[in-house]
Amino acid sequence: MSFKKILKRNEFYIVIIIIALSLIIQAKSGQFFTENNLVDLARSLIVPGMMASGLFMVIASGNIDVSFPYTAMLCMFGVTKLFQTIDYQGPVAAGFLLAAVIGAFLGLINGILAAWLKLPTLIITLGTCTIYLGFTQGVLKSSVISVLPTPLADMAATNLFSVRNAVTNLGSSMPISIFLLIGALLLVGFIMKYTMLGRGIYAVGGDPVAAERVGFNVKAIRIFVFTFCGMMGGITGLTQVTLSGMCQINFFDGYEMTIIAAVVLGGASIAGGSGSVIGTFLGVLLMKLISNNLILLGIPTNWSKLMTGVLIIAGVCISSYKAVAAERKITSNILDSKSGKEAAHE
Amino acid sequence: MRKRLVSVMLGTAMAVSALSGMPVAAEESYTIATVVKDMSDPWCLRHQEGVEEYAEETGYNCYVKGASKTDSAEQIQILENLIEQDIDALCVVPIDPEACKPVLAKAREKGIVVITHEAEGFEECDFDLEAFNNQEYGEAMMDQLAAAVGEEGSYVTMVAFLSSTSHNQWMDAAVAHQKEAYPNMTLIPEERIECEDNMDMAYNKAKEIIKKYPDIKGFLGASSYDPPGAAKAIDELGMTGNMFAVGTGVPSVSGPYLQSGSNPCVLCWDPALSGKAMCQLAVMVLEGKAADVQTGLDLGIEGYENVNVNGTDVSGNAILVIDKDNMAEYQF
Repeated sequence: MSFKKILKRNEFYIVIIIIALSLIIQAKSGQFFTENNLVDLARSLIVPGMMASGLFMVIASGNIDVSFPYTAMLCMFGVTKLFQTIDYQGPVAAGFLLAAVIGAFLGLINGILAAWLKLPTLIITLGTCTIYLGFTQGVLKSSVISVLPTPLADMAATNLFSVRNAVTNLGSSMPISIFLLIGALLLVGFIMKYTMLGRGIYAVGGDPVAAERVGFNVKAIRIFVFTFCGMMGGITGLTQVTLSGMCQINFFDGYEMTIIAAVVLGGASIAGGSGSVIGTFLGVLLMKLISNNLILLGIPTNWSKLMTGVLIIAGVCISSYKAVAAERKITSNILDSKSGKEAAHE
Repeated sequence: MRKRLVSVMLGTAMAVSALSGMPVAAEESYTIATVVKDMSDPWCLRHQEGVEEYAEETGYNCYVKGASKTDSAEQIQILENLIEQDIDALCVVPIDPEACKPVLAKAREKGIVVITHEAEGFEECDFDLEAFNNQEYGEAMMDQLAAAVGEEGSYVTMVAFLSSTSHNQWMDAAVAHQKEAYPNMTLIPEERIECEDNMDMAYNKAKEIIKKYPDIKGFLGASSYDPPGAAKAIDELGMTGNMFAVGTGVPSVSGPYLQSGSNPCVLCWDPALSGKAMCQLAVMVLEGKAADVQTGLDLGIEGYENVNVNGTDVSGNAILVIDKDNMAEYQF
């Protein structure tokens, strides 16, 4: 890829913002480029990264889903509670499989409603998210579970490796669930880039009518993206339990907005049809850099919300400026060639 | 058509008022609704246990409602719905007291007795009940933290929201007490961290604080998710034994960290008892005995045998310190 092409890519600008922000945090605190902080950062990306990869598909298809944190919550609590009730001792993978199935089913509900009701998916998922919350609360009788069932507790205690900072003596451990994040990103990247399904998702997001005429099954694609997003939500929910070592249903409060912001920050148009999984990941990285380093940046507590908002808006502005500029160039090229032709006629 | 509607409505209104009037005439029975912060929280479930126990003991109709998660807007909606129903008293643990003012004012206009909790100095209530004097609680927390860190080193305070009345009162009192009694301890410049009653957030913020101040010694948390969240960060960063998190906590959540030592102890009050005491206060007001609520009054509930009254603020002496040794006695 030529340098000129790289310059046109949204991801390039996010990387620049990320590097700049990292350097500022490093300069302010001297604690950014330490092994324990980098492991902590990777750790904090697992849950939002997995959610964002699922949501990215939905957004690329021109839809929106605000119910995924509630899907995650329901699966998280449901599976943990079930394991606790039956005193499950088998492999933890069964739990993830179950969470994925329940999540996919909840996503399927969203997908079917979205495909058949022709209503804005924001309204549909706002409705279903309340149902999922109500179900968790009413039917499952949600509560805080602080002693995890053995398989989940074992996974929570298993780490890939641990690092320790020689200067500050602070340690940090990389959880094995980092593989889930890597797997999710690779899977979404593969589907979006190398399969007909992925092309179809972009096509539907770009122009559903055109996509249908070309021969894509628009309804099936809609159902697929929501089901996939629900499945990712389910897996993510259980992952959060193993990271936190306990289960509290308000873990994902406010996630719908931050994850949507991260995906858009990563260059996916909210109208659909564009974006990449790398951009999405970078968007999540930038969001986490902002939200997890306000203290290191020395921003007082009562200013933190203001700063988060300002940084998000600034990030979106910078990354979308390039897109606007590129569009303007195309438009002006067309105009130029038009006026050129007219000039030739005269 | 309209006439008929009006007559039906009038009839219904009369029937309702007759029905509601009847039990009062026959036997003093009251309907008391309690609204807690978050029904998914074992703390609030314990509160519910207390209220149900009170209902059994007295025969009054007492029940508990609450938001499905700590969401002030949802709590206000529940309050709005309740005051449209036929209740005599409303016991509320407001998430955001300021935001609850209009709806509680409306309730009082309708003649409903309002008792609040965790909102000292609140105006739109008949009485506000605190398990203890907020200042004493803050000081008690600081005493425990000072004991854990050996009365020296830096520390930070944590609250659910900067708008949570009690949390901030406790922390103000704790910090003032530290300045007076423990001169070798220092508050870091960040002073107060907001963790939204979310353990994951408390954990992440504590991690960040530890990175910025690797020699920090203590975390003082007002929300019951702050000490365990901070303790998880301490354990994970390998600082167990060097740093301590003290504050409000319950054994069900702080249990593992009471064991590891990163929570040397947690403080709280028994929500079952405060739930009962709130109902008892409501009944006193309903019985027209509001004037009897004076310092020294015995509500007949453990920790509230000798309450302190200051205007509409009523406080007991029900501070509970839970550590590794007595945690098994408290199942909440």
